[in-house]
Amino acid sequence: MLSRLIRQILFVLVNFVVNVLVAVQNVYHRLWVRRCKVLDDEVTKNDVIMIMDNVPKMKKSLKHLVVLVDTNHHSMSDLARLVIWSLITGIPYVSFHDITGDLKQNEEKLFLAIEKKKKGIPGCIKWSNKPDLNGYTYGMNANNVFINIFSYKDGRPQIVECVRQIAKGCINCEKKTNEFTTEEFGKVLTQMYNNIPDPDLVLYTGPHCCTYGLLPWQIRLTEFIQLALEHSVDISSYIGALYKYNKCDQRFGK
Amino acid sequence: MDGNRRFAKKNSVQSSVGHHKGFDKLSETLKWCLDLGVPEVTVYAFSIENFKRSEEEVAALMDLARDKFKRLLDEIELINEWGVRIHVAGRLSMLPEDLRSLVAKAMLATKNNNILQLNIAYAYTGRDEISRGASHIIDGIQNKDLSPEDIDEDLLSQTLDLGEAELLVRTSGEVRLSDFMLWQVSRTVLYFTDVLWPEFSIWNLLAAIIHFQRNAPPVLPELENTKSKQKFLDKLENKWWQELESYVIC
Repeated sequence: MLSRLIRQILFVLVNFVVNVLVAVQNVYHRLWVRRCKVLDDEVTKNDVIMIMDNVPKMKKSLKHLVVLVDTNHHSMSDLARLVIWSLITGIPYVSFHDITGDLKQNEEKLFLAIEKKKKGIPGCIKWSNKPDLNGYTYGMNANNVFINIFSYKDGRPQIVECVRQIAKGCINCEKKTNEFTTEEFGKVLTQMYNNIPDPDLVLYTGPHCCTYGLLPWQIRLTEFIQLALEHSVDISSYIGALYKYNKCDQRFGK
Repeated sequence: MDGNRRFAKKNSVQSSVGHHKGFDKLSETLKWCLDLGVPEVTVYAFSIENFKRSEEEVAALMDLARDKFKRLLDEIELINEWGVRIHVAGRLSMLPEDLRSLVAKAMLATKNNNILQLNIAYAYTGRDEISRGASHIIDGIQNKDLSPEDIDEDLLSQTLDLGEAELLVRTSGEVRLSDFMLWQVSRTVLYFTDVLWPEFSIWNLLAAIIHFQRNAPPVLPELENTKSKQKFLDKLENKWWQELESYVIC
């Protein structure tokens, strides 16, 4: 057994070395990778062309995309661009998981940012908690995007609320054996979420992945894909992430 | 513990060889964790969904489990010396009776060990675990052990088979949870690595631990249970041990 002191020294040393390595990597990123990318705050014609070129090559349908949002790093404009890109891609549900709690409070700002960027792009954006405003579509082929903002509260606390409702007898949950099956409990629980499809893909930025309490029941088969090592949001990493998602092979236990 | 079959394919051997290699890797990893002083390790060995695999493969996996639990019971003295407590999480009623009896024996025999807790998720899914936890609470209400006001996140957490995880390692390049510890990962550092499970080395484990050390969230203070909650939980635990004892006799 190593003595406590040696262990402590080793711990500090190893983490110091890793810190240096990560710092070098970051400098490299800033100097080289960033320079190659033109950072644009608007949805440009180039974005539309890139999506139209690449998306038809992807075979796997993507129904529900969730973005883990840290308002310390992501601007409303970043999120709005993600929505517009998804509208063009044809993803019907786009949700934001609000890690800091700031996004729910600034929903109006997000709404305005999206409306601003949507100009000239066909399709509808619908908010789960707002009446339809921009109901115009160009024919039947235009895409729709439903937007939801989730937070920790919608996860475990909502499951607890469901159990409480069953306990109080407010909702009935069928039980054929002495314990609920996944189907029995799931049937009651999903009613509390307006039948939103389970997320297919979660995008996160930054070096580490965590669910931050995102909808525990629904993320059982969700793929977690890093959008960018830094917290930047750009079209090429968005398309790159969609490609990665397309390569994920689900075996459903088999 | 992903990638046993891909490992077998890569090395042109039968998938059962891959599963055996995967098991050997588990005991090796356990040894590393003991040396590193990790107090709790949970592995996802068999999902409820895995019952959908071919009859032959399911039978082979059940045989593997029988064989390993038998060997484990043979070496129970060594396990007790190491202080390993074995806990099998999942819907045990789905297991063949003889395997269930072995599993129950292993849990009862290592009940008092406290150096390392090894949780083996077998016939497990996260959704199933939450559903069973919810049933226990509803039963508690119906038996008047609990009132609806007692129901909160902390209580549901404690009725589940598994506790919160700090670090979750998923091997072989998969980037999803596959119905594992859905409730417990809300603050967990998720570490996805491309290495196949049978090829997982101590360096991979150390890399995962360093990644965790750099990104770990602050530790939350533990909440104390109220009297009624504690009474309910104690009763639930007693019932569980009694059930295990009844499985042994079968």
